[in-house]
Amino acid sequence: MVRGGGRPSQAATDRLQSAVSYAVLLTLLLIVIFPFYWMTITSFKGEDQMRSLVSMFWPSPVVDENYRQLLGKTDFVAWFKNSIIVAFTSTFLATAIGTIGAYALARLRFLGRAFMASAVLITYLVPPSILFIPLYAQIRNLGLADSLTGLIVAYPSFTVPFVTWLLMGYFESIPEELEESAMIDGATRFGAFYRIVLPLAAPGLLAAALYAFTQAWNEFLYALVFITDVKLRTLPVGLSSFITGDVYGWGYLMAGAVLTTLPVIAAYIYLQKYMVEGLTAGSVKG
Amino acid sequence: MPTTAAQLSGKSAALEQQVRTGRVGLKRWLGPDYRLGFLFVLPIVVLVLALVAYPFGYAVYLSMTRKYVGLPPVFVGFENYVKLTFDGFFQRAVVNSFVFTFGSVGIKLLLGMGMALVLTSQIRFRSFWTGVLLIPWVAPTVVSALNFLWIYDGSLGVLNYLLVKVFRILPQGVGWLSEAGTAMASVIAVNVWRGFPFFGISFLAGMKGIPGELYEAAAVDGATVVQRFRHVTMPGIRNIVIIVMLLSTIWTFNDFAIVYILTKGGPGGTTMVLPVFTYEMAFGAQRLGEAIAAALYMLPPLAFVIIVLARHMRRGRAK
Repeated sequence: MVRGGGRPSQAATDRLQSAVSYAVLLTLLLIVIFPFYWMTITSFKGEDQMRSLVSMFWPSPVVDENYRQLLGKTDFVAWFKNSIIVAFTSTFLATAIGTIGAYALARLRFLGRAFMASAVLITYLVPPSILFIPLYAQIRNLGLADSLTGLIVAYPSFTVPFVTWLLMGYFESIPEELEESAMIDGATRFGAFYRIVLPLAAPGLLAAALYAFTQAWNEFLYALVFITDVKLRTLPVGLSSFITGDVYGWGYLMAGAVLTTLPVIAAYIYLQKYMVEGLTAGSVKG
Repeated sequence: MPTTAAQLSGKSAALEQQVRTGRVGLKRWLGPDYRLGFLFVLPIVVLVLALVAYPFGYAVYLSMTRKYVGLPPVFVGFENYVKLTFDGFFQRAVVNSFVFTFGSVGIKLLLGMGMALVLTSQIRFRSFWTGVLLIPWVAPTVVSALNFLWIYDGSLGVLNYLLVKVFRILPQGVGWLSEAGTAMASVIAVNVWRGFPFFGISFLAGMKGIPGELYEAAAVDGATVVQRFRHVTMPGIRNIVIIVMLLSTIWTFNDFAIVYILTKGGPGGTTMVLPVFTYEMAFGAQRLGEAIAAALYMLPPLAFVIIVLARHMRRGRAK
């Protein structure tokens, strides 16, 4: 090491390090954002512009014909409604079942608790690509094929284990003494759960519900397999049915993509803090 | 024989005693909170049995039958598995699945590590960057796949426009998804795009949990940046790295939507992965028995990964 000269000062190293950091961040940001940017501007481009490759990165003129065609001439509105029904119902079911189940598995002492906790985790890890055919057979035997009820019944198979696993972590992190002192003051076990634990776990509940909603909203495989009636499709399946290889399709397909993404991204931007926390709590907690 | 009051009360007291010890015995046996516990867990038990355990058992049975849609199954033992083993298309799907999975997970690991390191360095607006970089993970997979289908488009896609007209790197456009040479790399890129933020966020959470004193001590001892990463950061997030990689391996190996929407397994089977193969076998060729056998073929390694992963995840929680 050359004395006095060669070694860069601490400040210079810091500056270099932060320059590198920002360069990496900007690159990642561009990669992450570009597809959404491209989707949005495509949805406002007219047919002629798309075919002639002019003004690639900004719509000129800005047109709303894609949206009008999407809402007026396709079944998009019906699909949107279906997705809303399925996603909200299965979110409610998953959060309700998952909350009480997670509380029992995290706190209560009863025979089979450890076994069920493992079963929930393993169920969460079993991929849908293994279950979709027999589940379809079962849904059909129940007479629920080709109905939204069939999806509402099937979606808890992945939302409930996830919500339960996530909330078990939250409940475990709440000090047990709070319930104990409430019970010494005369509260029942259920009262302690309802009045003490539940309010404290509210951020976790919110994160769990948001993820259940996102999972149900985004689900593709079951919806593709269980539903044949065009009117009963959910958004992901409906959108993917627009692929025709035809240039005219891209405008309204991207308009549909924008409207499908909006609810999830809006919820995410508004409640980002809870979702980021929930994500790391759900899979990993170190 | 006349019954005295004393006898009566004695009897009822004994009865009460019996009931009480009975309940105590029950409590000792079933646990102190068994009533509320059973009640609260019951819905999950029903759900796991009806929607996972039963279909799974049924799947194992169906995989040993010759089953066509609308006809009763005929038991054939391991015939489907044997047939698949020697089926060239199936073998290819297995190889493709491994290429797809390990390619994706490897790149996600590198990008995620980079993302986490950058996010822990001294930057402003950290939560803004974190929030934006996580967007691909929450956006609907189908939308992302469709976006890339449009970006990759051979004649009007923006990727070719950028590479040919703007940066002039290529002399002419490439059919990213329609040429055998580029299709697999192109679908891997989409899976990586969607999945790396999860790696980054998880690693970030792990790095935040490492006490600052460890880094200070390392700095006092004269450790370089690389040495600090190797001897402080890596041991601190080891468990998380293992969990995230195994989770992602399961998810990627079973990713259906991205490949199905982008290529449906084409061109010429070069991106045919197992979930798409299973789907086509079941709903294209209508051969349910073989389709389920194809889905279950990889169960032994999958079960191994799940068990190892579940153990790590529980250990992560126990801390």
